[in-house]
Amino acid sequence: MNYAALIPLFPLVGFAIIGLFGRRLGSEKVIGSIASLAVLASFVTAVAVFMGLTSMPADARSFTVPVYTWIATGSFSVDIAYQFDQLSILFTLIITGIGFLIHVYSTGYMHGDRSFPRFFAYLNLFVFMMLNLVLASNFLLTFLGWEGVGLASYLLIGFWYDRKFEGSGIVWTGDAAKKAFIVNRIGDFGVLLAMFMLFNAFGTLEYATINAQAGVVLGGQETLVTMITLLLFLGCTGKSAQIPLGVWLPDAMAGPTPVSALIHAATMVTSGIFLIARTNVLFAMSPTTMAVVTGIGITTALIAGTVGLVQNDIKKVLAYSTVSQLGFMFTALGVGAFTAGVFHVMTHAFFKALLFLGSGSVIHGMHEEQDIQKMGGLKKYMPITYKTFLVGTLAISGIPLFSGFFSKDEILWFAWLNGSPILWAVGALAAFCTAFYMWRLTALTFLGKERFDHHHVHPHESPKSMTIPLIILAVLSAVGGLLGIPHVLGHPLHLPNLLEEWLAPIFANGVALLPKHTGDHTALEFTLMAVSVGIGAFGIWLAHSLYKDGTEKARALGARFSAVYKLLWRKYGVDEVYDVLIVSPIVVFSRSFLWKMVDVVLIDGIVNGSARFVASTGNVIRRIQTGVAQHYALIMMVGIIALIAIVTVPMLK
Amino acid sequence: MELQPLLFLVFALGAVISAVSTVTRKNPVSSAMSLVAHFFMLAGLYLTLEAQFVAAVQVLVYAGAIMVLVVFVIMLLNLGNEQALTENRGLRSTLATLIGAVFAVQIILVTVAEPTGANALPSRAVEIGTTESIGQSLFTQYLFPFEAISLLLLAALIGSVVLAKRHMK
Amino acid sequence: MQIDYIGSLPLIVIWLALGAIGIVIQAFVRDNTRLVFGYYVATLGLTGLAAIVLSGHKGASFGGMITLGGYANYFDALFCGAGIMALLAARPYLQKEESEVDEFYTMLVSSVAGMMLMAHASNLVVLFVGIELMSISFYVMAGFFRTSTKSVEAALKYFLLGCFATGFLVYGMSLIYGGTGSLAYGDIARTVVTQQLTYPTLFVVGTTLLVIGLSFKIAAFPFHQWAPDVYEGAPTAVTAFMSTAGKAAAFSAFVAVFVALLPAGWTSEIAQNQQIVIAVIAAATMLLGNITAVVQSNVKRMLAYSSVAHAGYMLMGILAGPSLGTDGMNGHHAIVFYATSYLFMQMGAFVVVGILERRDGGFLNIDDYAGLHHRHPVLAALMAVFMFSLAGIPPFAGFFGKYMLFAAAIERGFTWLAIVGVVSSVISAWFYLGLIVKMYFQDAKDSGHEAPAGLAGFTLAVSVVGVVFFGLFPQLLINIFRSW
Repeated sequence: MNYAALIPLFPLVGFAIIGLFGRRLGSEKVIGSIASLAVLASFVTAVAVFMGLTSMPADARSFTVPVYTWIATGSFSVDIAYQFDQLSILFTLIITGIGFLIHVYSTGYMHGDRSFPRFFAYLNLFVFMMLNLVLASNFLLTFLGWEGVGLASYLLIGFWYDRKFEGSGIVWTGDAAKKAFIVNRIGDFGVLLAMFMLFNAFGTLEYATINAQAGVVLGGQETLVTMITLLLFLGCTGKSAQIPLGVWLPDAMAGPTPVSALIHAATMVTSGIFLIARTNVLFAMSPTTMAVVTGIGITTALIAGTVGLVQNDIKKVLAYSTVSQLGFMFTALGVGAFTAGVFHVMTHAFFKALLFLGSGSVIHGMHEEQDIQKMGGLKKYMPITYKTFLVGTLAISGIPLFSGFFSKDEILWFAWLNGSPILWAVGALAAFCTAFYMWRLTALTFLGKERFDHHHVHPHESPKSMTIPLIILAVLSAVGGLLGIPHVLGHPLHLPNLLEEWLAPIFANGVALLPKHTGDHTALEFTLMAVSVGIGAFGIWLAHSLYKDGTEKARALGARFSAVYKLLWRKYGVDEVYDVLIVSPIVVFSRSFLWKMVDVVLIDGIVNGSARFVASTGNVIRRIQTGVAQHYALIMMVGIIALIAIVTVPMLK
Repeated sequence: MELQPLLFLVFALGAVISAVSTVTRKNPVSSAMSLVAHFFMLAGLYLTLEAQFVAAVQVLVYAGAIMVLVVFVIMLLNLGNEQALTENRGLRSTLATLIGAVFAVQIILVTVAEPTGANALPSRAVEIGTTESIGQSLFTQYLFPFEAISLLLLAALIGSVVLAKRHMK
Repeated sequence: MQIDYIGSLPLIVIWLALGAIGIVIQAFVRDNTRLVFGYYVATLGLTGLAAIVLSGHKGASFGGMITLGGYANYFDALFCGAGIMALLAARPYLQKEESEVDEFYTMLVSSVAGMMLMAHASNLVVLFVGIELMSISFYVMAGFFRTSTKSVEAALKYFLLGCFATGFLVYGMSLIYGGTGSLAYGDIARTVVTQQLTYPTLFVVGTTLLVIGLSFKIAAFPFHQWAPDVYEGAPTAVTAFMSTAGKAAAFSAFVAVFVALLPAGWTSEIAQNQQIVIAVIAAATMLLGNITAVVQSNVKRMLAYSSVAHAGYMLMGILAGPSLGTDGMNGHHAIVFYATSYLFMQMGAFVVVGILERRDGGFLNIDDYAGLHHRHPVLAALMAVFMFSLAGIPPFAGFFGKYMLFAAAIERGFTWLAIVGVVSSVISAWFYLGLIVKMYFQDAKDSGHEAPAGLAGFTLAVSVVGVVFFGLFPQLLINIFRSW
């Protein structure tokens, strides 16, 4: 099945064509079609590969397609090679499938934008890089994709560079893009170091080898494994917007909404989960890291969930919701429920893409208005958007039979079973927040009275190119969960958990290392399920009763608990803390010391000052001799003395 | 054989004194003259090391040609006034003296750390220092760097002409 | 004395073309810069070609004064290529500044000759002549705009400090001679291996001074201070050349010298202290270069400080040395790879700066680059590629260079240094991306001006192709390195 290597190629070709000939291609239709077809071609190929994999025996569903030797020096050898197995093909299907829908949607959403070709070139570039990330057979190629999606995300966040954007310490969308990129660089640095350490230990960066030999090579070296996995996890917290590197995602909403849907909800932000799933054996070998992953995941889920309660920007609510849901996924991985984590990636991709695209449709129909306080009653103007958005809301809130119910419930169950009841309780609280803020969002946007200015805003339903993807995603959000019916439900009905069976070989080695919790928990599981559904329903009811007529009631409530409200509104002050702790010292040190002392005092002060003086007196040569050169020479001299001392003192004893 | 250490001492002391005088003289011309003296002392040192040719070149090129140039420049720029050289002394010269002293001490420590001893000069040493033997090695063993230096001189020549030309076109 | 005329052909060609024919042409053909320009482009082309053709012809020549083939010829080709790129970029730049004089091309080619001597040297005397030939040409080129105070100031500063550093370089060489009794790399190595050092302390101080002299040429801390001033003050076309090829040349000598001074690698007791020296220099250079670059407002100055930082990265390769076994990461190969990719990306960046620069010396502030993407989409896109590569983001060549250097340092046990390197490269993302943000995500202040690329377009095309190509196919270069 060597044709499988074509999957990443199509979007690359699309990127090249649009990037090189964008303006000359003429109409938007041509450009949109090329970009969409490129992704569709990948999707179709991926389906074919998927079919091929299903026809193989379960434990042999993996093959690698080498393209060429990228670099080989000494024992260090890395191929450009794509690995197709249960995990990578699942992600590929999500990326290309949802990616295609979002491309189609974008043809409508970006209609009339002056940089239409640029947008689609970037979007195709993103898909290409994302496919490299998930299909890579080794760490280095994944890292290429990892940086590549960061680059594409950077370009797309700042796409509307001429627009202002209100974020923490940010005025322009370009600043938001830079923030996202640099925060991610900190995480990448962790991945890079982890890669070096892995290479030192294994002599290779191939996933297959590392996963197979992890027990032999790293067995008994728990500190090393913990260090490697924690460094990897640092990268994951960057890409997947977890504490402490999650600050960039809400600001990333500066990009066009389809970008938020594709990159900052459905695909790129789940790369952290992908990386851990890929290297699950390593993570399973370090209980410490697993505990850290769980802790970070559940904390992020709760904190982002609570911050989401008070946001008024439709996209920011969804952004915090994404951070929170990603926290759930990490919690699942942390307690060893890898399948549950990946399952939630999939369902989340469905409903969060749906919600973002729905919000895009609203923003589009409301002439770029994003403040939900100025909406309301849009139900009758945008019926399709409303209905699909409702499906998404119910799915994310965990209402039974919608996809989110299955995946979130599985995570919560494993949090109790493999973790502790407290973990479950915190998760349930975060789930409550989810239901609450999502219903608040729905209610304020679509229900209640119309709070917008009728003279200026004329809400209208979006074109077909936008609503059809919404409908498809709504269907997927509704029924997508059936792929992973939990055993406790499926068993009596003789329904299999398809996803778990499919992914089992990937996680077999990792799961084998973790402690097992056996026994019959049917009653407990049903009880917890009922409770969590109850919590979700309660959240919806509470939000509905507070917000169905607008924000007055809530405002009164907010006034009563103003301290809490303020804390949430300021996002616990995370940005400010970062500013004080990290950003400012570097700038201050650099500016006040190196710049002022070394440059301004020495160079600007003496050199430029003297140079100006010299030019007027005509004494150029002598002045520069005695001024500048002596100072530089003085410093050189000190350096020389110090270096000679370092080398000779130990020799002299 | 007893003469050599004595000569060395004389020339070395002379070299140090004239060097110090070069940087401490306030009058640029006398400073330049101290430098000439210094070059002569160095030539003497080379002689005690049986490097006759180098000693001669040292006198001809440095003490002769280059110093003439230096003195010319001093005259042309009319740097005769002492003010120009004394200005801005104080802290800077103190620092320079300090650092120079530290470096000197360091070098002395490093060189005396090892029992270098008084190695007797090889018997061929007298011949090595002659013009003839230097000419021979220049055109045999060191032919390549010798020829390469012609490029270096050419580049320096063209460079100085380019920089000194009054008008570019 | 055995002279391998065929193998020495690249050196002979450039020597004759420069020292004999070129001078005659320039003496008799007045005011025909086009002819001289073409002549020197052809000279470098021919020399580079000879170097490539003869790269398999290994050996020594002129009584072991120079080595031939392999490593040295690779650098010959690299310097000639860089020289051609610089010539092409310089002509439109000089014409714009209305100071095109044919001697400029002579100086540029003579600096290439100096670099080639440095790469070929297997005797400290040849190395010294090469360094001086290159440096003197650079001093003159830096001060080429004689009417611009900045340019003159840059040249003088460079010259004075350069002489100062050369003093230590020569002193170091003489101490090495005192310690080993020879100036030939091979003899020095033999003396060290057989532990017949007469005066080990002299030798160690000598090598340290040699390291210091070379550190000045690569602009490593604390001998870097000339670099920002000189790079800023010198004509941009000159900066483009000397900050790339000059640095590559210094590293080509650095590597060769270290093979001779440390034949047993870092295992000997003497070498341990020197290792610390290099490590300290590398760490300080990376951090200081990048942190200072963050606050620069002048593009040339920012790139100058970043070039200081890149010298620090490359020093890690010196520290790592050749691979321990057959399968380790070869630090010297990493340096050569990095020097090659750095040449493309840094020269590309400076050439873009030079094209955009106004006649009056304006348009050098980072703020001037705001909204560049609208006015010069191609230049902005190229600049973005160079910035990404300098920041070490895959798939550009800069990433692989960094990767190899860091990996080599870690293999040698210098994990802390690699961490410093990675941290400082995170800091560097700040200003490299800052420029991209300016170009792409901000609006222009004014309507801009014409900036025709002319012949420099060719240089840019080669640079960007190099940056992308060697990122995608680094193996091609590494295969060449392995054949040495």
